[in-house]
Formats: sequence, C-alpha cells, structure tokens
Amino acid sequence: MRILVVEDEVKAADYLRKGLGESGYMVEVAHNGIDGQFLAQESEFDLVILDVMLPGIDGWQLLQIIRRKSQVPVLFLTARDAVEDRVKGLELGADDYLVKPFSYAELLARVRTLLRRGPPREVEQFQVADLQLDVLRRRVTRGAERIVLTNKEFALLQLLISRSGEVLSRAQIASQVWQMNFDSDTNVVDVAIRRLRAKVDDPFSPKLIHTVRGMGYTLEVPE
Amino acid sequence: MKRLWPRALSLRLALMFALASVLLLGALGLYLYQSLEREIAWRDDKALVGRVERMRALIGDSDSIEALRLRPQLYANMLSNRESLLWVLDGTGQPLIEVNPVHLPVPALAPGAGVQLRSSGGDDPARLAWQHVTHEGQSLTLVAGKLLAERAQMLAAYRLRLWLALGMGALLAFGLGWAVSQRGLRPVRTLAARAAAIDVQHLHLRLQGVEQVHELQQLGQALNEMLARLEDGFGRLSRFSEDLAHEMRTPLNNLMGQTQLALQRNRSTEDYEALLASSQEEYERLARMIDNMLFLARAERPDAVLQREAIDLHALVAQLCDYFEGMAEERGITLVNAAHGTLHADPQLLRRALANLIANALRYGAADSPVHIACTPSAHHAEITVANQGAPIAAEHLPRLFDRFHRCDPARAQPGDSGGLGLAIVRSIMQMHGGSVRVESDASGTRFVLVFPRRA
Repeated sequence: MRILVVEDEVKAADYLRKGLGESGYMVEVAHNGIDGQFLAQESEFDLVILDVMLPGIDGWQLLQIIRRKSQVPVLFLTARDAVEDRVKGLELGADDYLVKPFSYAELLARVRTLLRRGPPREVEQFQVADLQLDVLRRRVTRGAERIVLTNKEFALLQLLISRSGEVLSRAQIASQVWQMNFDSDTNVVDVAIRRLRAKVDDPFSPKLIHTVRGMGYTLEVPE
Repeated sequence: MKRLWPRALSLRLALMFALASVLLLGALGLYLYQSLEREIAWRDDKALVGRVERMRALIGDSDSIEALRLRPQLYANMLSNRESLLWVLDGTGQPLIEVNPVHLPVPALAPGAGVQLRSSGGDDPARLAWQHVTHEGQSLTLVAGKLLAERAQMLAAYRLRLWLALGMGALLAFGLGWAVSQRGLRPVRTLAARAAAIDVQHLHLRLQGVEQVHELQQLGQALNEMLARLEDGFGRLSRFSEDLAHEMRTPLNNLMGQTQLALQRNRSTEDYEALLASSQEEYERLARMIDNMLFLARAERPDAVLQREAIDLHALVAQLCDYFEGMAEERGITLVNAAHGTLHADPQLLRRALANLIANALRYGAADSPVHIACTPSAHHAEITVANQGAPIAAEHLPRLFDRFHRCDPARAQPGDSGGLGLAIVRSIMQMHGGSVRVESDASGTRFVLVFPRRA
C-alpha cells in the first residue's frame, strides 16, 4: 500500500512517515504543493494525505489537479476546522477530513477505513482469545462462562473487539458508543471501561482490555 | 450635490435659518407689492373715469366742439403732464380734439353705454377710459388715458427695494442663525471634548456637563451606558487574557519540567515511556482548552450557525443519562429524567450544554442523592432544570460562575477538570439560542436553569 503525504511542516511529515511506515505502509513525502503534484502525477498511490496550507499550490488546488485523472482516496489534514472549510474540502472531492491537532491513533484508523475499499463487512461473530461475542444473539462468553452485559457495555465491547488491535481514543469511543461528538472533559469512558473490565477481564486470564496511556484503549491478546 | 451641503451643523442651521427667512420675507413682500399695485391701479382708474365725466360736463356746457378746439388751454390745464392722453372722436372715429404726447394711434373702442375701461399694450402701454355721448345730434366718443410708463417705473423701483430687503434679511438671518447655533451647539462641543478624553486608560471616565440640555442628556446617558458596557467587557477581556495565560502556563510548566528532568541523565525505557505518556496527557489538556476557546470565540460571532430542529427532550436526556450512568453509579447518584415535551434547538449544542451541567452536578452533588433533570414548558419559554443536592455555592461566586476560567476553588486539581470553561460554554450556547442560563443555590441544593424563549 503506497501513501503520499503532502505536508510542509517537517516535523509533522516526519512523524507521519515514521508512523505509517511502522504500520506497514510505503510512504512518500512531499514538502510543498509542486512536489506533491509531481509525485501524484508520476506514480500510483493508494491514498493521499494532504495538508491544506501548502507553499506553492495549496491543498485545495492540488486536490483539484489530482481529481482530474484519479479517484485515489484523499484525506485532508488542516488546522482550520470551520464548517465552511470542511464543506469546501469535501465538495472538492476529499474523502475525509482531520483537524489538527489530531491523535495519531485516529489518523491510523481513518487511513485504514479509507484503504479498506468497499463497504465494511457485517461481522456477526467475534473472537479474541477465549472471548466470544455473538452480535445477533447478543451473547458474550468467555471460555465456557456466559457474561451478562448491559446494552451499553455490549456496544462498548463490540466496538473494542471489532477494532481489535487498534488503539481507540476516548473521543472515538464516546462518539461511537454514545454518539457524544464533543470532548466532554469527563472520565465517563474510563468509568465505562472499568465496569466492562470488571465483568470481562477481572475474573479471567489473560487480560484482554489494555489501557494505552495517553492514547486510549485497545482489546488484544497480550504479546 | 452633497458637497454643496456643508458638513458643519452650525452652518447648516444658519443656512436653513436663512432659507426660512427668504421664504417668509418673500411671501410677505409679494403680498405687499401686489396690494400696492392693485391700489395704484384702482386710483388711476378712478381718476380716468373722473376725467371722462368732467369732459362730458365741459362739452355739455360749451356751445360747440369747435369752440372747445379753439380753447385748448381749458383742458390743457387739466392735463398738466405728459402722461395724460385725451381724445374727442366724432362718429366716424376722427379725432376732433387730441392731446397725445407720444403719438399713439387713435384707439378702436368697443361700443357700449357708460364709462368703460381698458388697458392697451404695445410699446407704450396705457390705460384708457371712454364714453360714447351724443351732443347736439352728433355722436362723440370721449377718451381719457394715462401712460403706464411712470407707474411701471415706480413699481420697478419698489420691486428692487423689496429684493434688496429680502437679500439683506436673508444675510442677516444667516448671520444670526450662525451665531445662535454656534452658541446653541456649545454643549455638543463640550460633549465631544469629554468623549475625546476617554481612551483605554481612562475607561472609567463618564460624560458629564450636558445634563441641562434635554436631547444631549439622553445622548450622554446612552453613551455613558455604552461606556459602562465597554469597560465591563474590557475588564473581562483583560482578566480573561490573564486567566488564559495562567491556564496555558500550567501544562507547559509540567511539560518543560518533566522533560528537562528526564534529559538530565540516562533513563530507563519505562521512564521515557512514562514521560511521553504524561506529556501526551498535558498536550490533550492543551488541545481541549484550545478547542473550547475556539468554540467560545465562534459562538460569540453574530453569524454563528444554529442547526435547529425539533428535539424530543425526554429522549435527549435519556441519552445523556445513559452516557453518565456509570459515573453516577460510582458516586451513588441516581439520574432522574423528568424532562418532557419538544424544543426547537440545535441538538448538538443542547446536548453539550446539558452534558456540562450534568457533569457538574455529578462532580459537586452529594453522594447517594438524586440529580433531577426536568423541563417545565410554558407559553413564553421552556426551562430545563438540572438540580443536585449538596453544599450550596457561596453567594460571592454566583455572579461570576459563568465567566471563563472562573473557579470557586482556586486550588483546583479536580480529576477531569474542564479547565473552568464548562459553564462559560453553557452560557454561550444559551446566548446562541437567544436564551439564558441562571443558577440558584441554597441549602437544599443547586439548580441550573436553561431558559429557551419560545419562538412564535
């Protein structure tokens, strides 16, 4: 998977190259719009990550140039988060929009979504280690034991297990499970995770739900 | 056209004064002039008619016209100046007697009984009176006339004098008006001078000294009120900048201190990881603060967009209760959803405002007590109340509770601190909706009330 990153801020470009490289993507970086245009026209990419404020050609112009011949997914990065800016970006044909400062975990999640192509599969059964979740029957079992969860606990566990291995930020969790699309400055998510752990993890081994300090939570089999 | 109109108010007033005077004096002059003209014409006509009648008497007394013709001094005396005309015409219109200094042609006169009057035009306008009489079987026409040149001259002189008087009057009115308005506008200049003395350093000054002028008193009062609002806003703003700097300095201080400490010597990987994680938390705190600041700044823009829709309050509050359920249970607090009815508002913003209030109630409410969320709709407005039990908020904090960064407890360190912006955001959201938020706090607990005006 080849990703083109057009970003003039050197530190930001470096950590994007490093992070995406560590996640197994091939990354090319351009530090201005002209180089970005050249690279985008010279070779094929599976995804373009585009900063809006660029020297030379700005992100919107570059997007228009790219859209003339290719339908490659484009993810916008910008410090501007006014609604009209978002609308403009999306109308010009961007596929997603991320406002700085963004969490790296969220960027990675969006990149994965954009690269997945096609509608996400509706999975009905999940299993991580001995933890099983049956979406249709709303049943959770660990080993042979049935675990009774409330609706919200079930939704939270379903989110974690369906994105197993990914770090989910508190904001993402609040948005997906409770449709709370703003930072509420409360530890609601931590409390919910704590209660879920008490049912799903505490009596069992190995522990599956992990706190990634400063980033969020992940559900996976520990290495 | 606009350039012609002077910018100075006193000059404008003087000009209007002059204009009014011209109109008034002009109308008066016109009236007087026309009266005079009519009066003179009436007198002239009387004189001419008198003359014709005297001539008839003269002819009646004389033996014959011939005798009259031979004794011109008889009527020449009567006709003492060069303005007068006189004809005695026979039946065929031939003049028997003629006094005609400017040699006017013999006028053609309409028949009729009695003395008749007519004006004749031409180079030498004249006024004529005539009568047809029969004298010893002979029909005669007696004509007396008066040249109008002298009268016209006299009236022209009179008109000239009127124009001069009008001009002088206008000039005088202009001068007087200017002087009067200069004097009358003195309080305005005083007001301007006072206002000019007020700048950022002297926002506490107020406009005084114009109270005796009624109109300016209102203006001065309005300006003073504006100044009070400005001073208040300015005070808030500078206090706010201080608070903001302080709030941003705290996480930066943590970041710098921790990082410098870590760099002093080699640390284990775990130490570095802990440092990075701790830094990440501080960054998030900063990012959240900036987000909230941006939200507040945008909310204050007058063109902030609201996406209003009809909201089922019970469902919205149920969703929030669901969200906060875990937190509430940990403190033994029960969330009671008593909200009903629908409201026309921006659901995202309303949810955010209520979430801030509920988070507040959970944070400060007494353990093992309920938090009530209720809605009481009325004809004019809808009120959503979030009430918790617990220690009351001290009265001195109540007025500033919705200010940015205001904290009741200066030593904060509450987990999940909202940075002192949560209630400021609630107030902004309510202002965007044209509503308001108020707080009541007493021994029985604390109630935050969101007041939404009902839209017709």
